[in-house]
Amino acid sequence: MKKTLLATAIVAAMTTSALAGEEVKVGVILGFTGPIESLTPDMAASAELAFKEASASGQLLGGKTIKPIRKDSTCIDAAAATANAEALITAEGVAAIFGADCSGVTGAIANNVAVPNGVVMISPSATSPGLSTIKDNGFFFRTAPSDARQGQVLASVLQRRGIKDVAVTFTNNDYGKGLANSFANAFKAVGGKVSISAAHEDGKADYSAEVGALAATGSKHLAVFGYLDQGGKGIIQASIDAGAFSDFILADGMIGESLTKHFGKDLNGAIGTVPGGKTEGAQVFATMADKSGIKKDGPYVGESYDAGALLALAMQAAGSTNRSGIQTNLMRIANAPGTKIGPGEIAKGLKVLASGGDVDYVGATNVEFNKVGEVLGSFKELEVKNGKFETIKIH
Amino acid sequence: MDILNALVLLFNYIIVPSVAYGSQLALGALGVTLVYGTLRFANFAHGELMAFGAMITILCTWWLQSLGVSIAPLPTALLALGPAIAVTVAIVLITDRTIYRFYREKRSAPAIYIIASIGVMFVMNGLIRFIIGPSDRAFGDGQRYIIKAQDFRDMTGLSEGLGIKTSQGITVLVTLFLVAALFWFLQKTRTGKSMRAYADNRDLALLSGINPERVVMYSWIITAALATIAGALYGLDKSFKPFTYFQLLLPLFAAAIVGGIGKPVGAIVGGFVIAFSEVTITYPYKKFLTYLMPEGMQPSGLLQLLSTDYKFAVSFIILVIVLMVTPTGIMKGKTV
Amino acid sequence: MNLSANARRATLAFMLIAIMLVAVGVIQSWAVMLTIFNLCLISSIMALGVNIQWGYAGLFNVGTMGFAALGGVAAMLVSQEPVIAAWHAGGWKLLLSFVSLVLVIFLVAILYGKIKKGPLRQLAITGALVLGYFLFRAFFDPASDAIEAIDPAVAGYLGGMGLPILLSWIAGGVLAAGAAWIIGRIALGLRSDYLAIATLGISEIIIAFIKNEDWLTRGVKNVTGLKRPVPYEIDLQKADWFINLVESLNHGTLSQFGADDRSAMLRQMVIEASSIFVKLCYAGLFIAVLAAILTLSVKALDSPWGRMMRAIRDNEVAADAMGKNVTRRHLQVFVLGSAVVGLAGAMLTTLDGQLTPGTYQPLRFTFLIWVMVIVGGSGNNLGAVLGGFLIWLVWIEAEPVGVWLIDNLTAGLGETSPVRLHLMETAQHMRVLVMGLVLLTVMRFHPEGILPEVVKREEGD
Repeated sequence: MKKTLLATAIVAAMTTSALAGEEVKVGVILGFTGPIESLTPDMAASAELAFKEASASGQLLGGKTIKPIRKDSTCIDAAAATANAEALITAEGVAAIFGADCSGVTGAIANNVAVPNGVVMISPSATSPGLSTIKDNGFFFRTAPSDARQGQVLASVLQRRGIKDVAVTFTNNDYGKGLANSFANAFKAVGGKVSISAAHEDGKADYSAEVGALAATGSKHLAVFGYLDQGGKGIIQASIDAGAFSDFILADGMIGESLTKHFGKDLNGAIGTVPGGKTEGAQVFATMADKSGIKKDGPYVGESYDAGALLALAMQAAGSTNRSGIQTNLMRIANAPGTKIGPGEIAKGLKVLASGGDVDYVGATNVEFNKVGEVLGSFKELEVKNGKFETIKIH
Repeated sequence: MDILNALVLLFNYIIVPSVAYGSQLALGALGVTLVYGTLRFANFAHGELMAFGAMITILCTWWLQSLGVSIAPLPTALLALGPAIAVTVAIVLITDRTIYRFYREKRSAPAIYIIASIGVMFVMNGLIRFIIGPSDRAFGDGQRYIIKAQDFRDMTGLSEGLGIKTSQGITVLVTLFLVAALFWFLQKTRTGKSMRAYADNRDLALLSGINPERVVMYSWIITAALATIAGALYGLDKSFKPFTYFQLLLPLFAAAIVGGIGKPVGAIVGGFVIAFSEVTITYPYKKFLTYLMPEGMQPSGLLQLLSTDYKFAVSFIILVIVLMVTPTGIMKGKTV
Repeated sequence: MNLSANARRATLAFMLIAIMLVAVGVIQSWAVMLTIFNLCLISSIMALGVNIQWGYAGLFNVGTMGFAALGGVAAMLVSQEPVIAAWHAGGWKLLLSFVSLVLVIFLVAILYGKIKKGPLRQLAITGALVLGYFLFRAFFDPASDAIEAIDPAVAGYLGGMGLPILLSWIAGGVLAAGAAWIIGRIALGLRSDYLAIATLGISEIIIAFIKNEDWLTRGVKNVTGLKRPVPYEIDLQKADWFINLVESLNHGTLSQFGADDRSAMLRQMVIEASSIFVKLCYAGLFIAVLAAILTLSVKALDSPWGRMMRAIRDNEVAADAMGKNVTRRHLQVFVLGSAVVGLAGAMLTTLDGQLTPGTYQPLRFTFLIWVMVIVGGSGNNLGAVLGGFLIWLVWIEAEPVGVWLIDNLTAGLGETSPVRLHLMETAQHMRVLVMGLVLLTVMRFHPEGILPEVVKREEGD
């Protein structure tokens, strides 16, 4: 029984990957439902923009096209996420996976499905420092910098602005807590004081007790490490309603147009950091995103495009859609040496690779992988002026 | 010593939010308790019912807004309540006809009703997301604040501000009105009296010629109306997201049981007990005491009894303690 | 309902499930099928646990989620290596805080005994509790802060005992049983619907504890990379015996290809086979546990003990009058059922390879399990197993089937029709709706479930 089962399974799997033909399937697994469901559509669209660019160039592996297959990671339910990833890899026969998003499910998919099956997984947004040390066998990459770094950047931004005393509230999950920890340590190291570090649960409606507790510390500034369409928004709403805080410090999960659209000028003076490009790459990508109707300043949008572009280039460098080929070539095309490739230049990159050259993908966020396959990344310092996020500086 | 500032602080962070939240819980718990009184089961679908009512209100509000109807400075949603209640009542009556009546005729155990209500909860949960989706929906308009915290500061010269939202004011006023109307209905009208009689002693009520189906129908109608209003006010004050209503279920039960299930007064008392304890237990009294203590004796710690991490556990802990100590609740509701 | 009709129905139902699973295997893939199958097994065990409480004794426990989570915590505590630095940093102070807690409880007990009932006793006890709380916090807060400060990105907790994770399945059962004993002592006196609400509340408190007490569970930062009771796919892919096995199994297929293609194909085959092999290993373990629990449950239900339980369930007053200790029996069955749920919770965490407290949601871990029991047939062990399989299959497959249905039904509307787009976007909510409809339909038209309880009677009935 087992024997026949194994045999049929393999035959089935072989045929699905053999049938791929002119279309290369790539899995897009993000939390389309759940806590970050409002961020994911733009992230997916951004990655698909890169896929479209590669497909339209006609250069990809002699004219192949990439077909993205979307699946839900739910952001929280590891069992459902692994089942969906399993379906992507074994039923759809994808060449690689773009995703996942939240650190918890990303770890589960990497450990239980992607690594065992030898499929590259490249996450645009899983930022938990704990993911740096998973046994990924070289198959897990991320284009978003780890939270450990954002905490430091945020701390130094505050120090430079002379802010010494902040109250911190974070969404009660691995992202929020991890970021709150790294920020608190970095901030203390530069002489700041975190008067309280209190969790808030997403998906609840009333945050007045939390805001009361935060305000009772007497701190002037409130740092919100949450999600802009979840508890983080609720906390800001309750703070403004009670007049508890007017100066906010926002981390990447809070940055987005929907926040400024909702609060308008009430948010003026808020400072934020978000992973985002140095160089002209970011500018170029911003206009591209605008043209495709993607919110250019949304979190992880540039990272998503870069992750998608990297997958396409890695396929080209491998000369096939072979899963392990993608893995062995990803690092090479992302890092120097080679022709520098910015956003919108995927076709050029594909051409260079096809003629046997080498590329160094820079993209929208200045991608450069370290040896465990993650980027150091740069951060944009933003400030809300006149009810709009404005980029102040790049760190 | 700065008693005025301390008082304003207490009002701004404890009393105003707790009164508004307590009113919302009380309205919801009234629905739970009414169903319990006449149908004798804890309705697990009540949170979803509130969400459903709120959803219809939102759809109507959007339609009214698109027509340019406005009753500024009040939110348009108040106008939409009427049709929303009608739709919700219809849904609830259909649910009763197709589902609960079957078990009533069979005289099933309370547990069976509860499981049926879990089924209704699943269906409504899916239906709501199917119609309006899982995301946050904004539908509030009109004047947002009665007093803005900053204006209060400028006006009084105090260092503490006091902010009151229009939605909070409306919530409290509507709750007062509804509670008064409900008590008048239960005490003075014939139907209300028969409902009370039926809730107190079913057999005696049947003997004296009360039509049970009529009583049940009225209970459902009132429950649906209360749930719609509570759901809409809740959405107006915070924001409408289907998931939050599901999370509201336990605080609602806690409020209904703590007050004494089956007793309308109990639901109101319970709602405020739960709301106040959630806030007072997790509030750090550092700043409050800083105002009251003489110079140099100010506290250094936060003086917080329980971290806000456990805020939502507070209502459950109170619920469990009340069930252990006095299972019939503060107002001596139904026997256990 | 006589026995053989029920047996026929059971065979038919399980055959139907088998066909559905095979269909998943053929249409999607065998790896997907095995992933679903493994979760079906775990779901069945959880459903068996609930069935022991509800079906045997009529106890309305809506706190399944809490016990499953405790099982998950046990899996982590048993298998993870201890974090020595954290123990040095705060372990002893933490122990001291618990000692102070025990002392306070002693003090309260003494006060309770020494002072006569009245306001004085209440005052004294309240005073002792308040003092005790602050004493506890004085030791506890710095200790937990110190522990959580140790390398928070990867540790920040005390770690576990470093034992094989299979042991944790037993530990999960024991931990859940212990918690159930305490909860049962205080809550079982309540009538059914109050018990339901109380257990629902208690399970939320348990989750809040697991989420926020980082020194013990790492809280929402999750503990990833738990040990495994089965080999890792990557090790298998490098093991010669495994490669040889795969090669010999597929000799026929491989020999049709040239040398170059053959090695690439073999590599792919080994990867696929390793993933399936691991899943089969898990399935074997789970089947063994399920078989053991099912056998014990069936035996217990047919024993005099089982008859007594049913007698208590059907008429508590009469059973009490017959001299049966109803409260004790209820506690016993509550503890047993919770232990089974805890065991299943530990198994689930083992399969996931990580403890993620954020995943514990009542809809998924309490209400869904209840649907399994009711639809499967409460009081019937095989029914609970059937419910576990059927409902999990529907839960997972409702989404793809829903998408497929919508895709085909609205194909005529055109790719960009708003109706079609809206339906496609909300397709994942279909499963909740379907679940409710299944539950309501079964309750209405077949209230005893698919496999009704079998009541053997000595004389004709």
